[in-house]
Amino acid sequence: MKEEWDVIVVGGGHAGIEAALAARRMGCSVVLISAKIGRIGELSCNPAIGGIAKGTIVREIDALDGSMARSADSTTLHFRMLNRKKGPAVWGPRVQSDAKEYARTQQRHLRNSGVTIIEDEVTGLDGLTEKVSGVRCRKSSSIKGKTVVIAAGTFLKGRLFRGDEHWKGGRIGDISADSLEDDIVRRLFHVERFKTGTPSRILQNTVNTEQLEVQKSEKTSFTFSYDKSMNNGLEEVCYVTYTNRNTMEIAKDNLHLSPLMVGRIEGTGPRYCPSYEDKVVKFPERMRHKIYVEPMGYKSRYFYLNGLSSSLPREAQEKIVRSLDGFSEAEIADYGYAVEYSYFHYTEIDDTLRLRKTENVFAAGQICGTSGYEEAAGLGLIAGANAGRVAKCLEPLSLSRMESYIGVMIDDIVSKGADEPYRMFSSRAENRLHLRQDNADRRLHNTGELFGILSEDKSELLNGNLREAGRIKVLLEKEIVDGIRLSKWCRRPGTSVEEVVSAANSLAGIDEEVLKSVLLDEKYSGYIERNLRRYESRRDLEKISLKEISSYMEVEEICWEAREALEKSRPETLAGAERIPGIRPTDLQGLLIYLDRRRSTWNNARAGEI
Amino acid sequence: MSPEIICAVATPEGTSALSVIRVSGKGSYELLESIMSLDKNRLKGMRRKVGRISDEGQIVDEVVVVSWPEGKSFTGEEMAEIICHGIPRSIRTIIEILIKHGARRADPGEFARRAFVNGRLNAVQVIALAALWDTEKSRSVFTGKIEESCTILLNEIEKAREAVEGNIEFSETHLDEDNKSIRSVLRDLIEYAKDFKREADSHENSSRVLIMGPTNSGKSTLFNVLTGKNGALVSDEPGTTRDGSTGFIEISGRTIQLCDSAGTDGIGLDRTASEAVINELDGTEIVIWMSEGGMTPPDDEVIKRAGEIVLIAAKSDLKNRIEVERFLNVSSVTGEGLEELKKIISRVPGSMSLSGVAARIEESIHKSDGFISSREYDLAAEILGEAEIEARRIMGKGENIELSIERALAGMCVGK
Ligand SMILES: Cc1cc2nc3c(=O)[nH]c(=O)nc-3n(C[C@H](O)[C@H](O)[C@H](O)COP(=O)(O)OP(=O)(O)OC[C@H]3O[C@@H](n4cnc5c(N)ncnc54)[C@H](O)[C@@H]3O)c2cc1C
Repeated sequence: MKEEWDVIVVGGGHAGIEAALAARRMGCSVVLISAKIGRIGELSCNPAIGGIAKGTIVREIDALDGSMARSADSTTLHFRMLNRKKGPAVWGPRVQSDAKEYARTQQRHLRNSGVTIIEDEVTGLDGLTEKVSGVRCRKSSSIKGKTVVIAAGTFLKGRLFRGDEHWKGGRIGDISADSLEDDIVRRLFHVERFKTGTPSRILQNTVNTEQLEVQKSEKTSFTFSYDKSMNNGLEEVCYVTYTNRNTMEIAKDNLHLSPLMVGRIEGTGPRYCPSYEDKVVKFPERMRHKIYVEPMGYKSRYFYLNGLSSSLPREAQEKIVRSLDGFSEAEIADYGYAVEYSYFHYTEIDDTLRLRKTENVFAAGQICGTSGYEEAAGLGLIAGANAGRVAKCLEPLSLSRMESYIGVMIDDIVSKGADEPYRMFSSRAENRLHLRQDNADRRLHNTGELFGILSEDKSELLNGNLREAGRIKVLLEKEIVDGIRLSKWCRRPGTSVEEVVSAANSLAGIDEEVLKSVLLDEKYSGYIERNLRRYESRRDLEKISLKEISSYMEVEEICWEAREALEKSRPETLAGAERIPGIRPTDLQGLLIYLDRRRSTWNNARAGEI
Repeated sequence: MSPEIICAVATPEGTSALSVIRVSGKGSYELLESIMSLDKNRLKGMRRKVGRISDEGQIVDEVVVVSWPEGKSFTGEEMAEIICHGIPRSIRTIIEILIKHGARRADPGEFARRAFVNGRLNAVQVIALAALWDTEKSRSVFTGKIEESCTILLNEIEKAREAVEGNIEFSETHLDEDNKSIRSVLRDLIEYAKDFKREADSHENSSRVLIMGPTNSGKSTLFNVLTGKNGALVSDEPGTTRDGSTGFIEISGRTIQLCDSAGTDGIGLDRTASEAVINELDGTEIVIWMSEGGMTPPDDEVIKRAGEIVLIAAKSDLKNRIEVERFLNVSSVTGEGLEELKKIISRVPGSMSLSGVAARIEESIHKSDGFISSREYDLAAEILGEAEIEARRIMGKGENIELSIERALAGMCVGK
C-alpha cells in the first residue's frame, strides 16, 4: 500500500469513476474507495444514458477522454436522436444501455487504467479542514492523500422511503454514509437535503407486450465516442404504455400513505422528474401520462417503468402497475422508493469544484446538488482533473460557460445554486447554438490539452478532426456557388447540409460528420458571435466588485426600490446586481457613479492624510 | 454633490386659467418656503400649501404648492409644483424669482432625464415624454399607453419563449407532439408586436441636433463627416449651403436626427433664410454652435430658444487655432474632437429610436415564426431571446433573459 496517494476518490459512482480516471490520465497515483466494489458504475435508476443536453455532455466527456461515452457505446441496446425535428443545435442522442454490462465495463476501464480500488466505507476526512491529510475508513485505517475528491452521490445520510417503511441507505441494498456526513457537518460545511425517487422494476415475462406500442431503435452509426469502434451491435425494443383514469384513482386513494405527502421527507425533489403521485396532484385533469417501458439489459428479465416513479406502499404500487394496459398480470421484482440525502450548499463550492474552506478537497456528482448520471460524470471529470493539478502543485482550472455544458453546469451550481436537484437543460446555455453534440470534440480540445488529460490516441484523433475542420473552412471560403461564397451560401435560411454538399464540388469525398458539423458552425456563426459579444460585455460587470459597499441604503445615486433589493441580496459584483429582479441599467450606472465617487473621496482623504 | 435645483413651466405657453411650474432638486422646499414666507419645514413630505409669492415686498401671485418627497416624485428628487395663474407676465416673474434664489432654468427634457437617472422612468417612458419636451405641450400625451403595450409585448415574448423552450426540452415526454399550440402563440405575438410598433411610430419624435454658426464656418463639412454623406454642397465660398439639410446618425445605438443649417450671420444670406433657421430651433435638443476658432458667440435669439448649446471652435486644423476653454476644438479634416462631440450628442435623451427597435422586434418575431415552420426550433428560440433582450432594454430592465425554469416547467408534465 502506498504511503501517500496523489488523489483519493470517495465513491465509485459516475462522478467518482471519471474523477479517478482523469487524475490517472494525468499520471497521478489514484485510489478509489467505494462501499461495494461490485456496484461501482451502477445505473441506480433508469438504464439509459444521454438525452437533450445530457447526450451532449456525454460527448463532451468523450472529448475530454472520459469513459462514459465508450461504455455506453459498447453496451447500447436502443438508440434515439431526440429532437431530430427541432434543429441540430438541440439534438439529443440517447441510448438504452445494458445496465449490468455498463457497470462491468466501467469497472474494467478503472482496473485497466491502474486506479487502485479499495472496498471500504469512508467515515471522515483526516487532518485540518483547511488542508486535509487523507480520509478515515471503517475497515482499513487512515489513507493518506494529497487531495481528496468526495463523490458520495445519494449516500450522505441517505434515507429510503416507501409508504411507511423507511430505512437507511444511499440506494436499496446499500450503506448510508452517516459517519462521513457527520464529519462534514462537524467541520461546519453547510449541507442541505434533496430527495429523488425511482420506479419499480417488473418481471418481463409477466407483461403482455402485445398490448403495448413498440418503439424501435433508430438505425444509425451514431456513437457517443468520437472513436467509433465501440458499437456492440446488440438491439432491444422498448415499449410505450399510458396511465388511465383507473391508475389515477388508485394513486389518489393512496395519497395519504405517501411519505412525501405526509411530510416524512423534507428534502426537495426535482419538479421535472416528479413521482407519479406528484403528477396526480399537480395535473389532476390529466388522465393519460406516457410511460416508457425499458428493458434493463440484453435479454434481461426486468423492465424499467420510465415515468412511474413512486414511493407509495407496495400494495398501492402493485395496483397502479396492474392498471396499465398490458400489465394486468404484472409481477413487481423491485418496488419503487424515494431517497433523501445531503448535499453541499452551493456557497461551499468554487468554480473549480474545490470546497472553498479547503485547499485540497473537491466535490463531484450528486453531492454538488445535481441529479443524473451525465451531470455527475461531467463534474467528476473536472473535479478529478483539478485534484490532479493540485496534487501536482498547479492551480486548478475553471471552464467557460460559453464553451461547454459542463462549464454552464459548474457556473450555474456554484454561482446560483438550485432549489431542487439540478438537471441539465439546453435552455440553460445562452450559447446553445454553439454547444452542440456534433462539435464537442473541437470545442473542448483546448481544455483537454490544457488539463493534460488526453491520452496520446485521443489527442491524435481530436487533432485530426480539428485539422480536417480547418481544411473544410478554407474550402468554404474558396468555392463560389450561385455567385456567392460557399461560407455565406450555407448560411441562407432553410439551407440543409445535404444541399450544400450536393452543390459544392470541392466538398466531395470529405468525412460527412465533420463536414456537417463545420457547416453548422457557419450557419450559426452570426448568432454565436453576438452571444459572445453580449457575454463579454456582461463579464465586464463581473469584474466590478461591490464588496466595499457596506450599506446600499446610503447609495443616493439609485432609487429606493433598488437600494432595498440590493441590501437584501447583497450581490458580490455588478453582474450579480444585474441578475436581481427589478434592478435596472440606471441602477447599475448609479452604482458605478457611487463607487467612482467613493474611490475619489477616499483617495482625496488619503492624500490629505499624507 | 446633489444636482442643482431646476425649474420650468410645465404647461403650454400663452394665457390660460392656471399654469404649473415645476421645481426639482434637493433644497427646493427651502427655496419655496423662503419666497412664499412659509414656516420652515412646512413643505416636508407630501404636502399641499396655499401661499403668496412676493418679490421685494410686492405680491406677485397667490399660488398652491404641492410637494413630493425624494423617492416619491416624478424626478425621484425632492420636488414641488407651483400652481399659479396662467398669466404669462406673472409666470415669467415667478421663474425669475426662483432663479434669483438659486434655481436654474431646466434644460429641455431635464426633468425626464433626472427621472430616468433616478430610476423613476424607463427609456420607453422617457421617449414617450420626448414628444412633450420642446414645449411640454400637454400632459395628456403621457398616457402610458406605449409603455403598456411594450409591457404586454415583453410578457408575450416571454410566454412564447417558454412555449418553444418547453417544446425543445420536454416534447419527448409530452403527449402532443405537433407544433399547433406554438404556432398560435406566435401568431398572437405577431399582433402584439404590430400594436407596439404602431404605438411607437405615433410617439416617435426623433431628437434633433442642429448645427449652426456663421457662414462658412465648416458646418456642412462637419455634417457630412458625421452623417457620412457627401450630399451637401460644400465650398470655400460663403453662402453655398442654402437649404438646411437633414440626416440621421447612429450613436451608441441611438438614432439622432442631425440638421445642417445655413449660416445665421446675415453675410451671404437673405433674411428669410436666417429666420427659417431660427424657427428650426423649436424642438431641437442640442445646438452645435460652430465658429472658426471659436471667434463668434451665438446670438441672443439662439441662446434664448435653444436647449443645450455646444460651442465648437471649428477648423482647428487651421493655423489660427486658439485654445478657448469653453470651446471644443473640432476639425473635420483631422478628426480632432469628433469623438468627444459624438459623445455629447449621444447624451441627447429620447433619441433612442423606438420605432427602429419596434421594427426590429417585429421582424424577429416574424423570423421566429418562420423558423418554427421550417422546424428549426433552436433558431426560433434564439431569435425570440434576442427580441426579449431588445424589449427589456427599452423597458430599462437589463439584458438578463434567463428563462425561469419555474415558468418553463409550468404545465409541463414529464417523466425521466
Ligand atoms: C433512488 C434513486 C433515484 C434516482 N432518481 C433519479 C432521477 O429521477 N433522475 C436522475 O437524473 N437521477 C436519479 N438518480 C440519480 C442518479 O443515480 C445519480 O444522479 C447518479 O448516479 C449520481 O452519480 P454520483 O457519482 O454522484 O453518485 P452515485 O451514483 O450515487 O454513486 C455514489 C457512490 O459512492 C459510494 N459511496 C458513497 N458514500 C461512500 C462512503 N462514505 N464510502 C465509500 N463509498 C461511498 C457509493 O457506494 C456509490 O458507489 C437516482 C438515484 C437513486 C438512488
